[in-house]
Amino acid sequence: MSRYDKITNNIDWGLLATAGAIMIIGLLCLYSAVRVSQISIFFKQIMWIFTGVMIMSIVFAVDYHFHMRSAWPLYILMVFGLMLVLVVGREISGAKRWLSLGPLGLQPSELAKIVIIIWMAYWGERKVQSEGYGLKELMIPALFILIPVGLILAEPDLGTAGIVALIAVIMLLLLGINRPTFVMLSAVFVSILPFAWLSLKDYQRNRILTFLDPSRDPLGSGYHATQSKIAVGSGGLWGKGFLEGTQTQLSFLPEHHTDFIFSVVAEELGFAGSALLILLYMILITKIIQIGLKAKDRFGAMICFGIAGYFVLHVFINISMAMGIFPVVGVPLPFVSYGGSFMFMNLICIGLVLNVSWRRFMF
Amino acid sequence: MNHNIPGQHVEEEFRSKAKYLTVFVCLLFAILLLRLTSMQIFKGTYYEGLARNNRMRIVSIPAQRGKILDRNHEILADSRPAYNVMVIPEDIRNISEISKRLARILDRDEKEIAEMIKEAKLRPFRPVYIARDISFTQMAMIENQLYSLPGISIDTSNERDYVSRGLATHVLGFLGEISHKELSAADPDSDYAPGDLIGKTGIELICEEKLRGVKGARAFEVDALGRKMRVVDEQSPISGEDVVLTIDKRLQLIAKQSLGDRAGAVVAIAPSTGEILAMASSPCYDPTVFLSPMTSEAWKQIIDNPMHPLENRAIRGVYSPGSTYKVLMAALALTDGYITTKTRYHCPGKYTLGNTVFKCWRKEGHGSVDLIDAMCVSCDVYFYNLGERIGINRMSSFVRDLGLGRKTGIELKDESAGLVPTVAWKRKRFGQPWHKGESVITAIGQGFTLVTPLQMAKVMSSVVNGGKIMTPRILASTPEHLEGNVKIGEEELDIIKAGLRAVVDEERGTAHVIMDPMFSIGGKTGTAQVAKGYVSKLPDEADIPYKLRDHAWFFGFSPVENPEILVVAILEHGGHGASIAAPIVRDVIKGYYYSKGLTDEQVRQDNQ
Repeated sequence: MSRYDKITNNIDWGLLATAGAIMIIGLLCLYSAVRVSQISIFFKQIMWIFTGVMIMSIVFAVDYHFHMRSAWPLYILMVFGLMLVLVVGREISGAKRWLSLGPLGLQPSELAKIVIIIWMAYWGERKVQSEGYGLKELMIPALFILIPVGLILAEPDLGTAGIVALIAVIMLLLLGINRPTFVMLSAVFVSILPFAWLSLKDYQRNRILTFLDPSRDPLGSGYHATQSKIAVGSGGLWGKGFLEGTQTQLSFLPEHHTDFIFSVVAEELGFAGSALLILLYMILITKIIQIGLKAKDRFGAMICFGIAGYFVLHVFINISMAMGIFPVVGVPLPFVSYGGSFMFMNLICIGLVLNVSWRRFMF
Repeated sequence: MNHNIPGQHVEEEFRSKAKYLTVFVCLLFAILLLRLTSMQIFKGTYYEGLARNNRMRIVSIPAQRGKILDRNHEILADSRPAYNVMVIPEDIRNISEISKRLARILDRDEKEIAEMIKEAKLRPFRPVYIARDISFTQMAMIENQLYSLPGISIDTSNERDYVSRGLATHVLGFLGEISHKELSAADPDSDYAPGDLIGKTGIELICEEKLRGVKGARAFEVDALGRKMRVVDEQSPISGEDVVLTIDKRLQLIAKQSLGDRAGAVVAIAPSTGEILAMASSPCYDPTVFLSPMTSEAWKQIIDNPMHPLENRAIRGVYSPGSTYKVLMAALALTDGYITTKTRYHCPGKYTLGNTVFKCWRKEGHGSVDLIDAMCVSCDVYFYNLGERIGINRMSSFVRDLGLGRKTGIELKDESAGLVPTVAWKRKRFGQPWHKGESVITAIGQGFTLVTPLQMAKVMSSVVNGGKIMTPRILASTPEHLEGNVKIGEEELDIIKAGLRAVVDEERGTAHVIMDPMFSIGGKTGTAQVAKGYVSKLPDEADIPYKLRDHAWFFGFSPVENPEILVVAILEHGGHGASIAAPIVRDVIKGYYYSKGLTDEQVRQDNQ
């Protein structure tokens, strides 16, 4: 067996194929969504995918223990980026989420999702506690998670901040928290909910209230939810056909190339297409968990679990939002929604998982 | 690595936890699949029906814009209902037929209307205005024919009504359709949409957020032909808040009327607080022309008008200060101890510096004059002497401290900073050294110095109120702001005021014509040379005004003892200050006393 064969045989091709299949469905639907008015978005997305695959290859090629050693530099870079965006960020409709690098716009908050995974895995690798962590041990990760979460909330970007926090919580639960601490923290969480509610911005609060009762605001955010539901439901079993979706083509939904792209999938490809897409995500995520279990060290395993959490949160929140069972928050659909930073992050995640998977054979 | 069987202990540690994670993932995906099944398989036909009959249309209801009120809550800009013709492009089938009908009613070009509809078809569900503010008759005609005009509806909105056409136009500013740039810069919580009106200049611009209010919305169902069937839901708009100005409508009216159709500006200010009581600029424009989309022809006409009617001369026009500048020189020379009341200079009608001769405006000269005489008769030679003694550096730093050469800080946008020349400035601008002769002419307000009428009002206020520099303000809600202090002692202030009073009171004074037995006025005339005389070149070609006659300045304040009002007037190309600008100032001051409700007798007593 040549050295080349050894390298290629140990790559998890199944994982790559699953991600690739999702991206193809995504591109088809993106084309359908933007072809009338903004076709340039479609070509840009192809460019992001190509660039993203190159970045993924680099992430894959470097031994992931290098990524582990980079946890602190990456963390500092992320905090710097998040602070920078608050100062010099490009303001798009009131929120400062974008850094302009020449023609390129970057979202440091997207970077934060992956850096938090690496940093948490690094922390977990070094802090082993067989009975699970107590309150004292949890102080450190709590502090270092709250810094980026707070900075993202300041942009403001509630959806992303929530995702970062939830990824960290999932990873901490997997690392283990001892029972009394767990019970106490759950109690504290429940009791601060009312205060969190009060600290939300009016429009955010309205969105949640509208979600609970769409008739409250059938014209504002309730309108999006209603139109998205009509799009999904009217797809039926086989869909209206590619480029045939009336809701999509008549632009009832203003953000159908980003946050509401799932309604395009569901409307045009029907239950057959959207269930296939959901199954593909499920295969992708369970594969990632399996790779994590077979990793050769805690760091590798935690990276995979974190990434599995990352994907499951995005997929679940985005799709349930499109189907009207979750409030409208700005959470995109991995590999499908339009966006450069987000596409890069998804592919970096795949690169990391492949890396962990491939190096379990290395001694 | 030191593990023999890598990964084994990892697998042991995480096996059960990973199982939980997998179950969690499967659970979430099961929810998604269940929901998907229920929506697409079981309720598919229901949603399909909804999609086919997706005939809900949403239009916004504009909020009533807040009023703009004067200090006594008199209305300067009101809101009145207006009717607009709105189309929902998706519901228009036969463009040419509809355009033909509309063109007949609206008396507009058929092709133009068809173009607008075609363009709007790109976003078929976004309502677009075809015509704004149509007449009542036109509205009635359309209402009558609505049934044969599918996709067309009449929509009411609130249009600005500038109650007294032309009054305080430049202060109030105007509204226009929101631009792409403004739209993308708007807050996401705001409800701006293409076609909305937004404040472009003046108060309308700076108080946009307050005045605007929050739009409402109306959802209605249309039938298959796009005819409005019933209103499904409605959200009322929230009216904008009113904005109260420090302006006094009556003084504003006097200022406007006394300017007439001559180009110029008037600013009235309360010297002790910085409140602007009146601010007028002439010539005026009609603010309502910007409300509807303009042809480039009409826009060009306004822009190319040599009189620049859009410009608020009170804050944007820059002029040589002329002899009014002598007041600042007097304050400087007294406070720095260059002179006392007793200091006298001889004026033979000219002043010689090296080879250059500078003339006094009075050929035969004023003879021996002290400061009060010099101010009263506006003797140039007296101030030539001061200019040479004090030098450009100190002159510049003093007037800069008072507020020249920088924006006054009033809430309005697009203020000019004016110009205070310095040695360094001249070297940079012209690459030439400063000449002593330039200091000499600077002292009488000629040369490079440029001021706006508002700057003039600000610095003169601080001279007559004893050196307190108050930031001018025009919104009643802005708190009083003391910017700084220039020490002018009580004794010096009395001398300056005596000189300024002499300008009006004494028969030889340059503004004796406006003397009024009813109240005391102090003031100073000024003549800003436009292009002749000592200066070979103005600082900027673009600043050279359209004609070559002098500008006439006058500033006056009353009562002299304890000034309550200070008025600055400038008339472009008005010739000499006294005869033409001074009466405007007197009229505004008189109006101030009357509007306070004082009778002649009371005013007289107040001014004793």
